[in-house]
Amino acid sequence: MTNAGHRITDAHECSQLNELKMDMTGLNMLAGWTTEGDTIMIEQMPIFGGYCGGVEETAICDVATTLASFALFSGNFHLDGPIHIRWGTTTNRESLQIAAHAAAAIDANTDLLLANQYYPMAGPCTEMCLLETAAQAINDTASGRELLSGSAAAKGVVQDKTTGMEARMMGKAALATAGMKVSDVNELLEKLVSGYEGNYNSAPAGKRFQECYDVKTVKPTAEYLQVYDGAVQKLRDLGLDIEN
Amino acid sequence: MVASRAVDIFEAYTRFNTGKRVREDSWDYVTVPNNALAMKEKYQINFGPDIVPTDDDLSDRLFHAGLEMLVTTGFYNTNLGRVMYLTEDEILEGVRKAPKKIKLGRGKDQVSCKSRHGNSTRKPIIEGGPTGAPVSEEIFPAMMQSYVQEPVVDTLVSGVLNTVCGQPATTNTPWEIRATLAEIRYVREACTLCGRPGMGI
Repeated sequence: MTNAGHRITDAHECSQLNELKMDMTGLNMLAGWTTEGDTIMIEQMPIFGGYCGGVEETAICDVATTLASFALFSGNFHLDGPIHIRWGTTTNRESLQIAAHAAAAIDANTDLLLANQYYPMAGPCTEMCLLETAAQAINDTASGRELLSGSAAAKGVVQDKTTGMEARMMGKAALATAGMKVSDVNELLEKLVSGYEGNYNSAPAGKRFQECYDVKTVKPTAEYLQVYDGAVQKLRDLGLDIEN
Repeated sequence: MVASRAVDIFEAYTRFNTGKRVREDSWDYVTVPNNALAMKEKYQINFGPDIVPTDDDLSDRLFHAGLEMLVTTGFYNTNLGRVMYLTEDEILEGVRKAPKKIKLGRGKDQVSCKSRHGNSTRKPIIEGGPTGAPVSEEIFPAMMQSYVQEPVVDTLVSGVLNTVCGQPATTNTPWEIRATLAEIRYVREACTLCGRPGMGI
């Protein structure tokens, strides 16, 4: 397979280290990719409650590292992902606020291409997982991001606990949000996040891909479709005009 | 002073290699938190209750706080134990040099990722996938198909194969390389099986 199957128009990913750090492995990969003219995505997930501190300090570091992705590492787009040091998710209130403020700040002052990645607390085939995913998609879309990447359900750490249904929700929620007034988005987010943020200690673990889909036909189970419909209805009740 | 040109990876390495030596724990526990707090205070950054900001002046102040954070703090190289610096003009030159749009994928499956501003009516690009979560070898192709078959998904982000040929894909071993290449083959296969062979990954 030419170029091991990776084309110039596929994203080559290199991660910064927390916070405002890089290693030689990253620099050496980037040396090859920039010379070759590849499409480069630089990732950085600032940790809320880590070295930076609170939400505002973490957002300041987020802006700084995003600018470094372009000015120092020749990235073509930046993949963000502010993560909570206690919960290990990107869908919690603080992470959403950091991501939205950093994106809006950069969006207002540049034409840079900004992405964000998804790590909900709950596992697949649960309403909480879908609502967390929708909350972040609403947040990222309304704050001007260009690309949404996900979703790594169950915090992205449990084997086989991710499925295409969560990506369907991410995409449909983004589609429904694009063009909404930001004040309406904030009202919606407040209700949505308040509905799940009290459940982190008892978040449903969800099911593995093999239990969510028929692995041979790659069709989601009737159970998951029902859970999905329930989440869509809940989002509609909160005011999001989302398709099935 | 105006930047002579944008900084590239090779210039970055040269600056790292001749930069100031700093202990990594001092960087993590002193430099970064102190500078972030100083920027917060200087630019009066306080978020309030809104999750998505509605205050344009706050957004501008946050941008300038982040820009100054990068200028005054610099960037740390963990292998060299050294810090390099960029000027504000060099950062802004790098921002100007960055693309406003990129093409992802090829042929009829190619999508264009273009700059959005505010909550544009144009939706963002949807990149579906496990985003680096661990996936069993046995179900990897089917799981990738579950994303590619979704019409709302524009591009694919892969998961991480837990094993390849039954061997753990341990970091810094030949099996890691083999697993990475296997992931790409499986992803391509999923795209082809779903009739979207040119989808960007």
